[in-house]
Amino acid sequence: MKLEHSFTVPADLDTVWQAVLDPERVAPCMPGATLTEVEGDTFKGSVKVKLGPISLLYKGSGEFLTKDESSRTVVMKASGKDARGNGTASATVTVKLTADGAATNGEVETDLSITGKPAQFGRGLIAEVGGKILDTFATCLASKLAPETTPAQAAEVPKLSVVEKERSEAAETGKEAGEAAAAHAPPPSKPKLTVAGEPETEPIDLLSYAGPSVLKRAAPLLALVAAVLAFITLRRRHR
Amino acid sequence: MIPSAFDYVAPSSVDEAVRVLSEAGEDAKVIAGGQSLLPVLRMRLAAPTMVVDLGKIAALRGVREDGDALVIGAMTTHYDVQRDQLVREHAGLLALATDTVADPQVRHRGTFGGSLAHADPAGDLLAPALALDAEMVVRGMDGNRTVPAAEFFTDFFTTALRQGEILVEVRIPKTTGWSAHYEKFNRVAQAWSIVAVAATVRVDGGTIAEARVGLTNMASTPVRATAVEQALVGQPASAETIRAAAAHAAEGTSPPADGNADVAYRQHLAQVLTSRAVATAAGV
Amino acid sequence: MTSTIEPEVGKARLRKEDARLITGRTRWTDNLTLPGLQHMAVLRSPMAHARITNIDTSAAREMPGVLAVFTGADLAGEQGSLPCAWPITEDMKAPDAPSIAVDTVNFAGEVVAVVVARTAYEAADALEGIDVDYDDLPVVLDMEAALVEGADLVHADLGTNKSATWIFDSGEAGTGSDVEQAISEAEVVIERTYRQQRLIPAFMEPRAIMVDPTGEQLTMWSATQIPHILRFLLAAQLGVPEHKIRVIAPDVGGGFGGKLQVTPEEFLTFLVARRLGKPVKYTETRSESLQSGHHGRDQIQKLTLSARRDGTVTGLKVELLADMGAYLRLVTPGVPILGAFMFNAIYKFPAYRFVCTNVFTNKVPTDAYRGAGRPEATYAIERLMDELAVEVGMDPMVVREKNWIKHEEFPFTTVCGLTYDSGNYEAATAKAMDLFGYDGLRAEQRERRERGDTVQLGIGISTFTEMCGLAPSRVLGSLSYGAGGWEHAAIRMLPTGKVEVVTGSSAHGQGHETAWSQIVADQLGVPFEDIEVLHGDTQSSHKGMDTYGSRSLTVGAMAVIAATDKVKAKAAKIAAHMMEASEDDVEFTSGTFRVRGTGAEAAGVSIQDVALAVFAAHDLPDGVEPNLDSEATYDPENFSFPHGTHLCAAEVDTETGQVRLRSYVCVDDIGKVVNPLIVEGQVHGGLAQGIAQALFEEAVHDESGTLTTGTLADYLVPSAADLPSFTTDRTETPATSNVLGVKGVGEAGTIASTPAVVNAIVDAVRHLGVSDIQMPCTPMRVWQAIQTGQTDAGGLGDEAGGGLGSIDPSGGAQ
Repeated sequence: MKLEHSFTVPADLDTVWQAVLDPERVAPCMPGATLTEVEGDTFKGSVKVKLGPISLLYKGSGEFLTKDESSRTVVMKASGKDARGNGTASATVTVKLTADGAATNGEVETDLSITGKPAQFGRGLIAEVGGKILDTFATCLASKLAPETTPAQAAEVPKLSVVEKERSEAAETGKEAGEAAAAHAPPPSKPKLTVAGEPETEPIDLLSYAGPSVLKRAAPLLALVAAVLAFITLRRRHR
Repeated sequence: MIPSAFDYVAPSSVDEAVRVLSEAGEDAKVIAGGQSLLPVLRMRLAAPTMVVDLGKIAALRGVREDGDALVIGAMTTHYDVQRDQLVREHAGLLALATDTVADPQVRHRGTFGGSLAHADPAGDLLAPALALDAEMVVRGMDGNRTVPAAEFFTDFFTTALRQGEILVEVRIPKTTGWSAHYEKFNRVAQAWSIVAVAATVRVDGGTIAEARVGLTNMASTPVRATAVEQALVGQPASAETIRAAAAHAAEGTSPPADGNADVAYRQHLAQVLTSRAVATAAGV
Repeated sequence: MTSTIEPEVGKARLRKEDARLITGRTRWTDNLTLPGLQHMAVLRSPMAHARITNIDTSAAREMPGVLAVFTGADLAGEQGSLPCAWPITEDMKAPDAPSIAVDTVNFAGEVVAVVVARTAYEAADALEGIDVDYDDLPVVLDMEAALVEGADLVHADLGTNKSATWIFDSGEAGTGSDVEQAISEAEVVIERTYRQQRLIPAFMEPRAIMVDPTGEQLTMWSATQIPHILRFLLAAQLGVPEHKIRVIAPDVGGGFGGKLQVTPEEFLTFLVARRLGKPVKYTETRSESLQSGHHGRDQIQKLTLSARRDGTVTGLKVELLADMGAYLRLVTPGVPILGAFMFNAIYKFPAYRFVCTNVFTNKVPTDAYRGAGRPEATYAIERLMDELAVEVGMDPMVVREKNWIKHEEFPFTTVCGLTYDSGNYEAATAKAMDLFGYDGLRAEQRERRERGDTVQLGIGISTFTEMCGLAPSRVLGSLSYGAGGWEHAAIRMLPTGKVEVVTGSSAHGQGHETAWSQIVADQLGVPFEDIEVLHGDTQSSHKGMDTYGSRSLTVGAMAVIAATDKVKAKAAKIAAHMMEASEDDVEFTSGTFRVRGTGAEAAGVSIQDVALAVFAAHDLPDGVEPNLDSEATYDPENFSFPHGTHLCAAEVDTETGQVRLRSYVCVDDIGKVVNPLIVEGQVHGGLAQGIAQALFEEAVHDESGTLTTGTLADYLVPSAADLPSFTTDRTETPATSNVLGVKGVGEAGTIASTPAVVNAIVDAVRHLGVSDIQMPCTPMRVWQAIQTGQTDAGGLGDEAGGGLGSIDPSGGAQ
């Protein structure tokens, strides 16, 4: 399944390109991630996802397919398995940055799938926590990518917006639920983005574990995780 | 459907339970009836190394009065809450909501505190607890602390309980003489609420003097329909005013979407069901 | 000596099996154990379509209690292929169907490894020690997309996702005229596309298997509907001599067609036990059952009905897409074909054409589920009759009456070439209308519409028939089915006068032990209590075709009666000898042989006396063997055709879309009734399952092919709390095709109720612009239909790939 998101960061293209590849700024935003091994363009790591009593540990491996500075495009492919055999997650993620005046736009294209029990289990709740983690990650990321902006300011003016293209397409196809409902119900309120000074869920093991060179390689994995969670969120909201 | 192996501990006192939990660390899970935890364990979506059973702690069961409040032990089963006269009299909303929980088997096993601590936003007792301004009495190694319901539910399946703490009892300010209704909407009897509305009102001479409305499964936590409450208070208890007030029910909600209902439909349901819940509670 | 004066057949006897079943003295397969028993657990693919690149079982092998771990590679040489007994066309494409995937998985839930350990706990733990690497392959979920040129393929080696196309055309068959001509000349043409969502049989007892390889025979206990067919196919597919296999179906807790299967787990338990030389047991979890046991329904029906303005039907064209899932199981391809003969239902269509295309997808295979093909057909035609009524401005019952076969027209040969032997649609309908209060409800409906009530009332009709009593062997042969449709029975007369009835029917909750006892009590004049029914063990019941398709009474019990006839014939000879009378002068009444004309009070010889005399064998007529035991095999000459009229009143809350069934009346004509209590139970359960399709149940897959309704919290099986109190009654038009006049009742409720409910819902909101709502009619779908006023509302599944998910939302709209 293909998904597209976009985001806008109040910083110039070069800064954001460097920042995207600078895990020291990116990594701490991702709750629950641990990087275990980096070798060349491949990497291994894990992401712990907790939802009430449910606890999943995805162990993943992946690789950089493209890191093209001229087109500001990064492509990576990765896949993970739950440590207890509960299912898999796999994805190919393409991130492309473009300048937009003083700001930078990012286009993220994700092709992925989640399988096994987490996709089966009651009311798709794992998707909800995915959405929460993504919100935390993305908002944190936006604040970190914006240079000389204090977290407090970022909180006041959250510039990050996740555009859910699939949703708008679905709306255009016409007489679907959304349109019908719009006439009879207030429009769904946007999910609130809360800027977290500290991640709310899990302690981050990443920084304490890995040195800078390892961290550099961690970015794709983290982006993948973000994309996976973004996917879950989108999927969730479409239903 | 066999869970991973775990150690089982059944403390006989709250102090012992807190100590065991604190020592065991984050891989320990409290079981308080097990109607939500056991399926997760059996599906191996969780594999705690230790399960601490609060079922043997007699002090955690029962309902008592304490001045203007009703105090319900965390391990009181739904069945015991349901048939308790004090609850019927002083917290009618909770009694009515408890009547709708799952099925008789679950109501005999599941507990009030277990449901609240599990914090499933589709659970039927969270919204009533919130609407009734319940206070959660929590015990940790440092002793008791009290958390208002509005601060207790923080996210999906997430509460203000810290590592090593347990919910021991719930204090509910009496709403004696109030009338109440819990309007539950689901597809089959044993299923979770798609949306539900917990409403309790005090009608004085045909006027709604006080109103509390809580919503089930309309966000990652239970939510209070404060705009509805404000619109109701001081108004005559009539179908028109209630319908007008209920139109605010979806304000500030961010409901989940699933196979049973998308966001727009849930928000629509919230309005319709709020209108019905308040009207029934107010005897309109 | 007791003689049965009052006939047993027709008595509402409590079921003799129930005391055992409800007091914990049951013998479910999972309750059984053997010395040295090992336990098997199964690792299933989370991927719907993938290449297996590596399986690392080393950690699992080291885990406590683990005896062995097997992968597809370990068993590839001996696992053969799971059987498909119904090649519907000569050019049908059928992939190899391994029990355990060797290099490719084709649906989520397919077996990729098995663990055998000392305890079930250790086996379950060891599954976590197996590490499988997969390479994704494109997942095929949507039938219409699967048929497009260049589509991703489920089985690349087949070169197509189309398994077969099966056609019946009344013009070509000479049973009717040309449908295209009828449509082109029609005054009214109704075109609709309906969707039969995928359902899960959801029987109460999950499937379980135990195999003991230590005896001279390999013995398999299995929670199956078909022990005899299973034995034959174990032999045929695994190359084991048939006489070295014994299959036992002990107490079996429901099936609904879901246990009419030869399963991967049965083959695997057999292979693994044989390999290890130790007894092995496997019991599936509920989630495994939902995820990997075969599913039912899953069709897209494109329908064209032609008629005259006066409401007379002139033609019916049916174009089906049927989802096979990833493999062809036992009768997968034939299930939609069973429906081919039922779309015309009780109506006199002069022209008919049926085209079914069977399609592979990366989902669990479909196969028989209560009704199997006939509920789908009945739904389509009964929905269409309502649409026709609206189109021509007539009452829906009047339109039906105008077109159905009148009672004086029986026997009637239909446009499909089936001969309906008997029926009286007028009588059943009149009774149902009366019980229902049809006119009063119509008046209330008008009143609510005029008032603009938020709760609207709808009335749904379903006048149905079905073909039961599967099946005349020659008909099965003409449909290329791989076996016959006969049934076998035997009677053993014990020396004390007690009777053992051996039946090839394999009860799994139906109450055969009670019903067969009632029948044999009447036939042999022995007390009900003196009869024991033996079934479900190929050692005692060596021959049989088992239980499905409402066949037990109409076929199985006929074999029982034929066997009792032989017993009586043998006994008459001996009784005559004992009474020193000529055999021609002996008559048999209520268990006693007497000399004709001596009256009921005269001394005679009871059948028990004869049994004892035969045991002693001191004084038998010359040339008569000392044996009353007899067996018989019965092959029906025709199907039986139960019918009925079902009426449903549904209230639709237009503010929420919630549907409440206010009343449900059914009058079924199932011919002669053996036990009204059992009939009542079958009807109630059947109604619940049919209503469940209309309102509650749906197997939903996400875009990865994961079943998202994989627990009973998500796959909504209704309980009594969700259903109305049913009003049931009967008319009785005996079948002419068997001596009891019985027709079968196992599937009637399921077949009839689904369209009755949906017709009622659509009827309630039709004035708001709604002409269809997809099943299951969830509150959200109903509400959305009301909001949009769409002619074909409710939308697709909730997700891409959800359910069938491939109907154009505007398709079929007029």
